[in-house]
Amino acid sequence: MDVIPKVIHNYPYFVSVVLFCIGIYTTLSQTSLMKKIIGINIIGNSIFLLFISSANIRGGMAPIAPQHGTLPPGAFYVNPLPAALVLTGIVVGLSVTAFALSIVVRMYEYYGTIESNEILEIRSWE
Amino acid sequence: MFAFLEAHPPAIVLFMLMAAFIMPAIAHFRRSLCAPFSCGFMAVGLAGSLYLASLAAEGRVIRYAAGGWPPPWGIEVVINPFSAFILVVITFICLLILFYSTASLQTEVAENAIGWYYTIFLLLVASMMGMAMTQDIFNMYVFIEVTGISACALVLAKNTRLATEAAFKYLLLATVGSGFVLFGIALLYLITGNLNITFVAEEFRLVYKNYPFLIWTVLSFFLVGFGIKSALFPLHLWLPDAHSSAPTASSAILSGLVVKAYIVALIKFYFLIFGFELLDAIYIRHLMLIMASSAMVFGSLFAFAQLDIKRRLAYSSVAQVGYVFLGIGLGSATGLAAGILHIFNHAVMKACLFMAAGAIYYQTGNKQVNKLQGLGYEMPITIGAFSVAALSMVGLPLFSGFISKWYLAQGSIEAGMPLFVGLLILSGLLNASYFLPIIWQAFFDVDQHKPKTFTLDLIPVPMAATLIILALTVVYFGLRPEFPLSLAQQAAKIFLP
Repeated sequence: MDVIPKVIHNYPYFVSVVLFCIGIYTTLSQTSLMKKIIGINIIGNSIFLLFISSANIRGGMAPIAPQHGTLPPGAFYVNPLPAALVLTGIVVGLSVTAFALSIVVRMYEYYGTIESNEILEIRSWE
Repeated sequence: MFAFLEAHPPAIVLFMLMAAFIMPAIAHFRRSLCAPFSCGFMAVGLAGSLYLASLAAEGRVIRYAAGGWPPPWGIEVVINPFSAFILVVITFICLLILFYSTASLQTEVAENAIGWYYTIFLLLVASMMGMAMTQDIFNMYVFIEVTGISACALVLAKNTRLATEAAFKYLLLATVGSGFVLFGIALLYLITGNLNITFVAEEFRLVYKNYPFLIWTVLSFFLVGFGIKSALFPLHLWLPDAHSSAPTASSAILSGLVVKAYIVALIKFYFLIFGFELLDAIYIRHLMLIMASSAMVFGSLFAFAQLDIKRRLAYSSVAQVGYVFLGIGLGSATGLAAGILHIFNHAVMKACLFMAAGAIYYQTGNKQVNKLQGLGYEMPITIGAFSVAALSMVGLPLFSGFISKWYLAQGSIEAGMPLFVGLLILSGLLNASYFLPIIWQAFFDVDQHKPKTFTLDLIPVPMAATLIILALTVVYFGLRPEFPLSLAQQAAKIFLP
């Protein structure tokens, strides 16, 4: 039974998968539009967690070139690339969130509510 | 200028991006100049794409390392027959749509939003072009997101209750879709440690046997993610609302090009990284075929039930996306070439149909399909263009829709699945069942007492000119399909060596 130590050692991956599922569930099942947007953000963040945890090495150094000479023996860098990717991803997530929020404001102006089931009801009267 | 473009192909995307952000400044200066300027920028884009396509048709492949960083580190841009073909399709259709929008936009979009509308439109074009050219999977994700957001904004531009709600639904589902895609990209990066498609593919061949379940996850995540975004049948729920409530110009580009741009990305991922053998071995391809054939049947059935013209056209897009996916799933070179060719043919036909619907609404204020009696005599240009595109949709010979269906049928026989020929015929009949009544009504269901004389349409000249050009394009490429067909066949050779 070496599965359990493996799972414990790699827990960030499992957390990210669980978060991904929570995010999808929240987005698709919640009736409040705000909660749906929160769900979108949870999905995005779970993927960023996956990226970042894939880059990390326990005991690794920050990927900055040493000022004098070379690396001390036995030291190693963590992978800097996923951090750059996640930064891009965060910007994308931010703009999607801002855009979605602006649509929600407009929906509130039209319907006076941000609950999707109440919006459906209002539409069914018309 | 062309020599510069040859040395730096991404300049064409950069040019469109800069053009996009000049638009608000032009609108500030004089609002009426926005439309002609955007047409001019788009024409430059079309000239550049045609030049790149002529290079690609000669068999030249341009590889460009952005920023001078060679491929494994930097972002690579490739101009091969496939990307050149997609570039030409995007710029050609968008030029016509922009020309149409010079007349139609002020009736549908608030006046102070027109400058921004063109910004978003050109942004969407630039990101789709980038998606066709890039060879880097994370760069692809960024372009996918830009396309998604700007496509939503184009729906939202109409600023009505329905459009707002449709845009929110679209944004939500598109973001879930890109979440799946990004998860797939993250897993691919975890497995292979590379972001360039060529290098990912090389590494992937060496290691994929160690991760059987992960490969399943990646492939199905890509199918679900891109399936949501390109409205593959059971995942199409956002499409009818978004495409029918948007302004006409937006509907044309969304239905004609945007859903296809995601298919382009999917083709690149599936065939360049995983290869067809793997898709076949783990049944992803069979899943794709099932979804595609149900799209072809149920999309048409749903379209039949709609009374709103634009909703009917939107559901017909669901069916037509099925054709493209069928071409991908068949796995024979002819089938894939037909699928790629159908990207072009359907873009022309669907843009023509949506714009004709917009013109009908412009003149008569009518949105219902059952109130078109005798309209063929009042609007001969519009209904004529509509009929040509609709007959092409049905797949009659002489029209371009026939060419892609013919090659799809050949491809399915080549792949040893003659069942799909029957499905193509059934789907063609279903198309006929919801398009022919419109044409019949417009020309033959006429009040006996009214004089049967043709009077010219009362629509602005750009609208009529666009419709005529698109209808002629449909006929021309139905009679002489050599140029797009040869590019599509060369493109299929890249993916199925």
